[in-house]
Formats: sequence, C-alpha cells, structure tokens
Amino acid sequence: MSDAASGDRKTGRLDSPEVTGTDLVTQLRSTLDRAAELVRVLESNLSTLQRLGHGAAGEAPAAADQRVEELERRLGSAETDVKELASRLVDSEHQAGRLMNLYVATYQLHSTLDPDEVQQTIAEIAINLLGAERFVLLLRDEDEQACEVALEAGLSEEDSLYAGGVYRGGDGVVDATLEDGVLRLGPEGGSPVLAAVPLRVQEVIVGALVVLKLLDHKPILRAEDRDLLDLLSAHAASALFAARLYAAKDRKLRSLESLVKLARGG
Amino acid sequence: MTFHKILVVDDSKLMHRMFEVMLRGHDLVSAFDGQEALQRLREHPDVKLVLLDINMPVMSGLEFLEAVGQDAALSQVPVVIISTEGKEEDTQRGLEAGAVAYIRKPFQADELRAVIDRLEVAQE
Repeated sequence: MSDAASGDRKTGRLDSPEVTGTDLVTQLRSTLDRAAELVRVLESNLSTLQRLGHGAAGEAPAAADQRVEELERRLGSAETDVKELASRLVDSEHQAGRLMNLYVATYQLHSTLDPDEVQQTIAEIAINLLGAERFVLLLRDEDEQACEVALEAGLSEEDSLYAGGVYRGGDGVVDATLEDGVLRLGPEGGSPVLAAVPLRVQEVIVGALVVLKLLDHKPILRAEDRDLLDLLSAHAASALFAARLYAAKDRKLRSLESLVKLARGG
Repeated sequence: MTFHKILVVDDSKLMHRMFEVMLRGHDLVSAFDGQEALQRLREHPDVKLVLLDINMPVMSGLEFLEAVGQDAALSQVPVVIISTEGKEEDTQRGLEAGAVAYIRKPFQADELRAVIDRLEVAQE
C-alpha cells in the first residue's frame, strides 16, 4: 500500500455513505437468499404433498387438493417476491456504485491543500469518472473581464477560444453559465460544449468546468453523471481556492520568517 | 477468496482510492507506474491478480505486460487492463500482450466485481 493511500485510510470521517450503500446491498442479498431458500422448501413440500395426495386419494382428496392449491399460491407469491428483490438488488448495487464514485471524488478533492494536486484530482475525476477527453477549467480573473484557463486536457486547434491560457468569452453556452450559474448540457445553439458546469464558492460563480468531448466509447453523458457534475460544481472550485489561499499564506509566512531571520542577523 | 492479494497499477491517486473502496476485503498492493509494478510483483510473490492502467509515466501498461511475459515466474499472474483507451484495437492489443480481460474507464464497481468473480471461478 502506498504512503498516500495509507494516509487516506487514517481519515475515516466520510466513510459512512459508502458503508451504508454496501450494507444495503448485503442485506438485500441476504433477503434474496432467504427468499430463494423459502421457494425451495415450498417446492419440496408441494411435491411431497402431491405424492401423499395421490396415495391418499381415497381418503380425503378435497382436503389434499385444497392444501396443494394453498401451497401453489404461496409458491407463486414467493417467486414474485424473489423477482422483486432481485430487481431491487440490481438497483441497489447501481446506487452503491454511484455513491462510491461521489464519495471517492469528494474525499480526494479535499484530501490535500496543494493547488497542483487539487487540479490533478479535478482532471482525474473528469477523465476517470466522467469519461471526458477534452475539457477546460475556467476561473474568473480578479477584474472579472476574462477567465483564466486553470486546467486543460486534450485541446486542439479548433478550441481557439481557450488558447493562450485565457478565455475572453465567445461561446454562448459557457458565457450563459458563467453569467447565471446554471448547469447546461449540450451540444446546443452551434456550441460544441457538452457540459458547462458552474463552479461556486459560497454561492458566487467563480468559473466553469467545460466538457468539450467525451471518450469515444462513452457517447453521451448519462443520468448518473449529473450527480458528479453537481459535486464538481459545489466542491471543485472551493477545494482549489482553499489550496491556493493556503499556498499564498504559506509563501507569505516563509517570506516573513526569512525577513525576521535577516533582521536578527541570522 | 482466490484473489486475496491484488496489485493495483495506476498513476492516479483517485483511482487507487477508488480501488480501495471497491475491493474492500482484498489485500491491495499499490504501484504508480509499470516499473514500480514489476518491483512490487517481485516483492510480493503471493499477488494473485494485477489491475493495470495503460497510460502511465516511466513504463506504460503495455511495456509492463511485455516485461512480465519475459519472466516465467511473473507471467503466471493474470492481468486485467483498466484503461480509458477504449477502441477495439486497444482492447485487442492489450489481450494480445497477455491481459486476460479489458475494462474501459469509466466503470462501475459491479463490472469489476463480475470480472474478478469470473476469473476466480476459472482459477478454481
């Protein structure tokens, strides 16, 4: 196990959502096993009764038939339950997978105060969890006249709006998202943008994550990707801003320490 | 559990964390590039399965497979490629290089679980 991975494990605060999802799947699996066992017992009883019914046909055929009917009804009901539980198990496993992605993304975004590592994590989420091939992360400049391209991946000549590390506007979908903070999914209105995700820090729009192309084997964004986009909207910028502030503060502190050392003649 | 110890090779910290969560109960050994993976594989002869990314610095996944193929002791360990490279020819290249399965990123935990279960059954 790597040092980084071992360090992650020490912080257990965010473990509960994923554990809950896993527990739910385990419980459903156990219930499903019990239901399947019940069906087997009922089938066995039914076949025994049918044999007995044939043997005692002369004695009480009506009572035996009634019992068989009752068991058949219970068997049908148990089979329906098994099907329903199997379907719920599949849904729960899917839900657990979605929660796992969200948990790991959040955990990793806030696991460091190094700005480069936070940017790297945002890129890794976009590529590995969302399936983005071409994307940019825009952060508004202090004068708010343009956006800094804080992160980019896979840009080509056709993405000239983001050239030179600055975005000055020009894509209707991106501009609208930067303006009103609404997450937009495309492509629409001549814009190649597949997703424009507003980035918020304390409800202020500070930038956008713009997805321009997905990996070839992932043709569209799926419903579950929306959760991940919402997570990036709420957490990516705040994690990056916190890391940048910490780095700036750290630099100032080092400068002051050097000055103090100089003043003391050290 | 046939594959108790698994070597995870990926240059992404996020993916290492993801595997830790998905494969709880397994003993995971981590490497961040192919060269480190070769070293880990030699240090841990009880590794039963390798989950391998393709695009990595220093030594890529395909180079790792080539090196493993030339070592009789290491070549017995099954390797599953997990990569963003999703074209048919990428899959073909990976399988020809010696991988036993190919999973495309992004993937869900149940997809990985299904591949591991299938390989465990085949090993028994």
